Amino acid sequence: MAYVATRGGERAIEQSQRLYREEMGAITPERVNELRQAMPYLIDRVMGEASLYDEDLAALALAQTGGELYEATLLLRAWRTTQPRLAVADPVTQDGLFTHRRISAAFKDIPGGQVLGPTLDYAHRILATEVLSGETHVPDPVTPAARPSPAHQPSVAAWQAENDLLTAAKPDQTTGNDIPDVTREPLLFPAKRAHTLQSLARAETGGVLALGYAAQRGYGQAHPTVNELRLAEAEIKVKHPRGTTFSAGRVKLSQAEVVNKKGTQLELGFAATMGWNEVKVIAAATLDVNSEGAAKGSATEEEFFLYHTEGVESSGFCIHFKLPHYVTFQSSLDAMRDAKAKKVAKDKAPEPAE
Amino acid sequence: MAPPQMLADFPHEVLLDVLAKADTARLKAFAEPLIAQLDTIGVLENRTGLVMLPIQDTAQGTNFHLGEVLVSEARITASGQEGYGMRRGRDLEAAMAMALVDVAVAAGVAHADCATFIASEQQAQQAADHERLRRVEATRVDMETF
Repeated sequence: MAYVATRGGERAIEQSQRLYREEMGAITPERVNELRQAMPYLIDRVMGEASLYDEDLAALALAQTGGELYEATLLLRAWRTTQPRLAVADPVTQDGLFTHRRISAAFKDIPGGQVLGPTLDYAHRILATEVLSGETHVPDPVTPAARPSPAHQPSVAAWQAENDLLTAAKPDQTTGNDIPDVTREPLLFPAKRAHTLQSLARAETGGVLALGYAAQRGYGQAHPTVNELRLAEAEIKVKHPRGTTFSAGRVKLSQAEVVNKKGTQLELGFAATMGWNEVKVIAAATLDVNSEGAAKGSATEEEFFLYHTEGVESSGFCIHFKLPHYVTFQSSLDAMRDAKAKKVAKDKAPEPAE
Repeated sequence: MAPPQMLADFPHEVLLDVLAKADTARLKAFAEPLIAQLDTIGVLENRTGLVMLPIQDTAQGTNFHLGEVLVSEARITASGQEGYGMRRGRDLEAAMAMALVDVAVAAGVAHADCATFIASEQQAQQAADHERLRRVEATRVDMETF
């Protein structure tokens, strides 16, 4: 890759940034607050891809970039590097999740039952155009049940293992800074499972969906069924200096188990991400269950999908093509002209017989 | 059930849990007068930072990192005791307020008030969870297949 140093663009660059921001107007605390309240699923998506959970910062990043998601994610990842890591929380386990939505497409009667939670899955897709005519659209209120739903449920996989449908996972004893971390170590292949799942957790939603969808359409080896999809809140379990473990608060997360029949047993794929983003975790779990034994260069091979769903790197590479490539392009032109000239010279050369 | 009014009714873990999730404005308003009741307060830390959050995969049992959570932390000394606060978000004052209540409890300062405050906040948090779960329960599927 060869670039050429240029100058003369300082004023243009300054004005171009002003032009971008001028169209958005002033960024006020009220605008950030409104964005945070009105766009929780967008905020969740940005937080998950940025690997940084804070709704206020995510709303600010969206306000500052006018909703350009790649820029917003990059802003948050850059800001994250200014902060010290104070602790690694205790690993979240499924039976500790405060559950808002839990469904299974594989089993009708999962222990604990199925609760739809907040979803538009069954909604009529009708725009409320009356709002554009000056009316206010007020959603119908929920009619709460008399009793609460159980807050905590084990995973469907744990129930299947008890019923000999699959081999129970052996719980990992690795904790704290011993857990492999792609933000501090290179991603090497074959990847550690912790690296694969962490990379999918912070992957770009659209990229994961595209490759997961390719696998679902038949370009993979396994056609998954959603074993369990869960939207929940997890406690951030940290330690007091005197040793007491406590929760510093809750964060939203999504997780999906997908299942595939393999011989006489079921095979599971898993994915989770911060925030509520169920398309991403279903697609990511599909890639997980398809990755073993995938052909080199196929959409379900881990090196292929992990490299190509890293949103900051892929968007950065894509937009770098806008940078001056005058030297490389001139070199290509020179080679083209040279080839043309040689061809012309060859065509004009007299035949030996003449 | 009436909330407990004695600090002995709250294990340290529960007390910290409740303070970390307490309403920000109420926590600050409650903690501020404690400053006058505590001996010289030393601030060891008051900063924002990140807590990495791992989760266990249900397919193979692997622990992996989901991402980092922004928190505010305060670590103080007063009346010969250490107080600690860590809460989600970038509110240094709220973390300091949590540490003040923690150190007051450890030092035996304003025990009755602290117990009342913690009981009241715990009740509010439990009520909010209860209401949310009643709404979730309303979405339970009574499934019949054909």
